[in-house]
Amino acid sequence: MQTLRGTKLAIFIGLFPALLIYLGIAIVPIGMSLYYSVMDWNGIGSMKFIGLDNFVKILGDDTFWLSVQNNVIIMVTGLIGQIPLGLLLALLLNRGLKGSGFFRTVGFMPVVISSVMVSLIWGMVYNTEYGMLNNLLGLIGLDGWKQNWLGDVRWSMLSISIAYIWQNCGLYMVIFLAALQNIPDEVNEAAELDGATGLKRTFRITIPMIRSTLLVGVVYSISNSFRVFDLIQILTGGGPAHQTEVMTIHMYNSAFMNMRYGYGSAVSILILLFSLVVISVVNRLGRDKDA
Amino acid sequence: MNKKSAGFRILAYTFLSLFAMMNIVPLFWMVVNSFKNEQEYAADPFSFPEALHFSNYAEAWKVANMNVYFLNSLFVTFASLIVTVFFGALASYFLSRFQFKLRGITYGVFLLGMLVPIHATLIPIFLIMQKLHLLDTHLSLILPYTAFHLSLTIIILEGFMRGFPKDLEESGVMDGAGIFRIFWSIILPITRPAMATVVILNFIYNWNEYLFALVLISSSALKTLPLGLANFVGIETASLTLQMAALTMALIPIIIFYLLLQKQLVTGMTAGAVKG
Repeated sequence: MQTLRGTKLAIFIGLFPALLIYLGIAIVPIGMSLYYSVMDWNGIGSMKFIGLDNFVKILGDDTFWLSVQNNVIIMVTGLIGQIPLGLLLALLLNRGLKGSGFFRTVGFMPVVISSVMVSLIWGMVYNTEYGMLNNLLGLIGLDGWKQNWLGDVRWSMLSISIAYIWQNCGLYMVIFLAALQNIPDEVNEAAELDGATGLKRTFRITIPMIRSTLLVGVVYSISNSFRVFDLIQILTGGGPAHQTEVMTIHMYNSAFMNMRYGYGSAVSILILLFSLVVISVVNRLGRDKDA
Repeated sequence: MNKKSAGFRILAYTFLSLFAMMNIVPLFWMVVNSFKNEQEYAADPFSFPEALHFSNYAEAWKVANMNVYFLNSLFVTFASLIVTVFFGALASYFLSRFQFKLRGITYGVFLLGMLVPIHATLIPIFLIMQKLHLLDTHLSLILPYTAFHLSLTIIILEGFMRGFPKDLEESGVMDGAGIFRIFWSIILPITRPAMATVVILNFIYNWNEYLFALVLISSSALKTLPLGLANFVGIETASLTLQMAALTMALIPIIIFYLLLQKQLVTGMTAGAVKG
């Protein structure tokens, strides 16, 4: 193809539109975020360089640390809920039981529904007076168990986590199931000859065989937990009194509610840093075990 | 089958059924109750409705501006999708079928996009749109939707086009077709299976997007479905059954879409997650 005349120009023309939109809207803004993060700016007046002041302010801000704590809660409950549950479901569906297709379809359904819909539906489930959960508890005579699921600080983060796990669990199920189906038959046959059956085979052979996929799942679950926004924004808006705020909500509120663009950008840089650190640690740990 | 495996089956089916119920019951409960009036719902939220009241639907459709939101979502979703897939396919064609110096770097740059978290770009994108006087227009959504899905689109299409035999273009060259002609009439048609995956993925991601819409769109006439729904439910707190009708109207098309295109959606979204 190089023999064609004007190839270089054609390559340029072909790549230019995609590169322009992509670099301009997805890549350049990251640099801009870094730039704004060292500025004091309300979006209207002039920008003032203030060095690392924004970061100092953030790190001294109790609401920020509260949001970090909530991110950790989402991350940990997400890991505990999604990975083992997804794996268990995948293992069961991999046994060729009748109706596996149905369970897979139903399991993946919440993944396709928008997080806005998921949040709105769960908002109705948790509704204190009219919600499904409290009504259900009343129906089976457990009136004492009724709670203000989203407004009561003792329950709100747990309630959010459950909706979060509900939404994402099916994705891990399908990821793990695909990996299980890729295990060659010979491995299972060899295991059978060695007398490894049932639980023993599952733990000694099957799970180690899909180790790398499990690690991918763990990493994805962690990076996803740092991106949570829609669910909390709609379920509680971060309230009551910042109690359910996560870092992305903190960023959104400071930038778009309080017009502190510099401060908000600094928060977004910190989110990026935190997630990179956690993910590289997990990757390191995951690989160490391999060695 | 021996005894042990019968026990296993019972356990497995019990667990799977519980899981399926967890997934279906909230949705089913909502759909059933959307046909009741307020009093009927307050009296018993777990009964079936005495009659199918479509009045909630009529009212929700009117009060919630559902037709406006549906049309906005359709327009933004398809405009972004067409731009993304067309430019993505064009870029993939050059990245997969040509040798040039910056090929590796260009591909690497696109790959990088899979790691970029949206929130880290949100404030600058808002400010860029403000500068360009694009705030509160559909274009302000189409640009980021395109930018953020080009990476996955190009990874999938480039991988697919790379697999074609080397001499595929030769017949075209013999016929005197130019580079773009070859792209349009030889490469694009045989890329159709991968294009289908990419179109479906772009559709679902754009259709469901909320954060950009929240930040970039403010007038009610331009809101997309997720943003409009979130707003409606925030305002219309008095009537739960009305909310349920609105949500059901938004839910049904997506469930049908999912059931029809399940295979592509499952493999596509899984690939999207694993590669990211």
